[in-house]
Amino acid sequence: MKTNNNKAGKIILEVVLVILSLLFLYPLFLTIINSLKSFSEVMTDVIALPKHLTFSNYSYVWEFINYPRLFLNNFIITGVGLLGIVFISSIAAYKLARTKSRWSGVLYFLCIMPMLIPFQSIMLTVLQTAKNLHLSESTWGLGLLYWGFGAPLAVFIYHGFVKGIPTEIDESATIDGASGFRLFFSVIFPLLKSVTTTIVIIDVMWIWNDFLLPLLMVNGSPDTKTLTLAAYTFVGQYTSDWQYAMTAMVMAVLPSIVVFIFLQKYIVKGVVAGAVKG
Amino acid sequence: MLKTLGKRWREKFEFGIFTLPVLICIAVAFYIPFAMTIRYSMTKWNGISKHPKFVGLDNFKQIFSGDTNFSDAAWFTIKYAILYIVIVNVLAILLAVLLDMKLKSTSWLRAAFFIPYILSLVIVGFIWKFIFMQGFNSLGESTGWAIFDLSWLGTPGLAFISILGVSIWQSIGFYLVIYIAGLQSVPEDLKEAATVDGAGPMRRFFSITLPLLAPSITISVFMALTNSIKVFDVILSLTGGGPGGTTYSIAYDIYRDTFQNNLYGYGTAKALILFLAVLVVTIIQLTVFKRREVEA
Repeated sequence: MKTNNNKAGKIILEVVLVILSLLFLYPLFLTIINSLKSFSEVMTDVIALPKHLTFSNYSYVWEFINYPRLFLNNFIITGVGLLGIVFISSIAAYKLARTKSRWSGVLYFLCIMPMLIPFQSIMLTVLQTAKNLHLSESTWGLGLLYWGFGAPLAVFIYHGFVKGIPTEIDESATIDGASGFRLFFSVIFPLLKSVTTTIVIIDVMWIWNDFLLPLLMVNGSPDTKTLTLAAYTFVGQYTSDWQYAMTAMVMAVLPSIVVFIFLQKYIVKGVVAGAVKG
Repeated sequence: MLKTLGKRWREKFEFGIFTLPVLICIAVAFYIPFAMTIRYSMTKWNGISKHPKFVGLDNFKQIFSGDTNFSDAAWFTIKYAILYIVIVNVLAILLAVLLDMKLKSTSWLRAAFFIPYILSLVIVGFIWKFIFMQGFNSLGESTGWAIFDLSWLGTPGLAFISILGVSIWQSIGFYLVIYIAGLQSVPEDLKEAATVDGAGPMRRFFSITLPLLAPSITISVFMALTNSIKVFDVILSLTGGGPGGTTYSIAYDIYRDTFQNNLYGYGTAKALILFLAVLVVTIIQLTVFKRREVEA
């Protein structure tokens, strides 16, 4: 009798939770259906389903913001950023964790300390530094800049993980004749695979969606914009043409959602690992 | 002798090769700009003239002696941060406890609540602006509920609630995931033992689950704190600081002074104050929470 009660309670709870989650996602559903409506339909009734699907909003926005170009920009920035962050942070964290000296302690502290500096505190001077180094107004330059911004957390996570790898592994590899980069890349780096996944996931989500740094760095020309940035300026120009605005939103978020659906398990794992270690 | 010298030299060289790239990048991204920030904070500069004028601590005096923009923004940020931290963590813990029971739809539910977190905050702000401005009209007409007829972005108090609600909507999935992970490390037999001893669900939650969740709470509060103090993107796209400038946060106020009013020196001084505030608050938070964790 009691277990029956429990079972019924569980089913009710489950139904309530599923309804709650659908309500929770309802704003996104509204966004999608309104991107498929004409202007007058959006203005008369937002919650109604589209009478007939209007895909012309998509072709209009696609052309207007030069979607393939923006997608490529996002891809370059995220790719360049990630490769650099993983490479420079992993080698440095490894060396800093393995070297027992006052120097390495101080340098490690210098590496992770910037996690406490809010970006808004340095945004003006970052922009100036980037200009001086000729990194601004270029997607590659922006990607490069993320190396420094992503490094503190990555060094922190890698450092914690390397400490757990026994030094005997290094020693036996050295005896076998490997040293320096050889030792690191053929022996240590493969052992760091799970942390690397975590860092890649956290950083992809961050760099792909980042707004303020691209706004300051590459907002000048339409050729260097990112997806989020283009959506932002697009809506700024078309505040009343909500059907286009919603279309631009869908197009900006679609890549993230597709990636999320495929890599869901890893993303959730990566976020947990990153947060617990971070 | 020579050989050992050679080896030590080689080790130092290797140490340099491995660590220099990251140090250079971090210096370019943080330390050089930070040093420049300190310098500019003591100048009056419009960004155009070649030589910023040195004014010592005048900017700071001015900020603390009657900059209502700054004090309003600070007050907004403090209120926002406290409410955000409390609400998002309480809701996430409740939801995590429900989702930790073995339900059939668990994986769908986790994914559903997590999805908004993968979207950019600027876009989330625009989506909700659309819902508040257009969607609520239609919802009001079809349901007849007065709640949809309120001006959610047009009245100061409601605009604050809207920003808070949208931020929580976007990020709750992140905290949820952390708490679920925390709950899964709570040993089952402890709960069972408590049940045998006659503890009800409430008692079990407060005496066993919650204390064992302390590490997750420390992390989540830390994340919520650092993120809420820097709130910017969502306000920019949702209210733009309105109505009547009531929803400017500190980060937004700094952005406005530097990039819209061209008060480079003055804005930078505010930026430095923000940094110090973040530093002090996070250190206090981490010490207090860590201490509690050890006792638990």
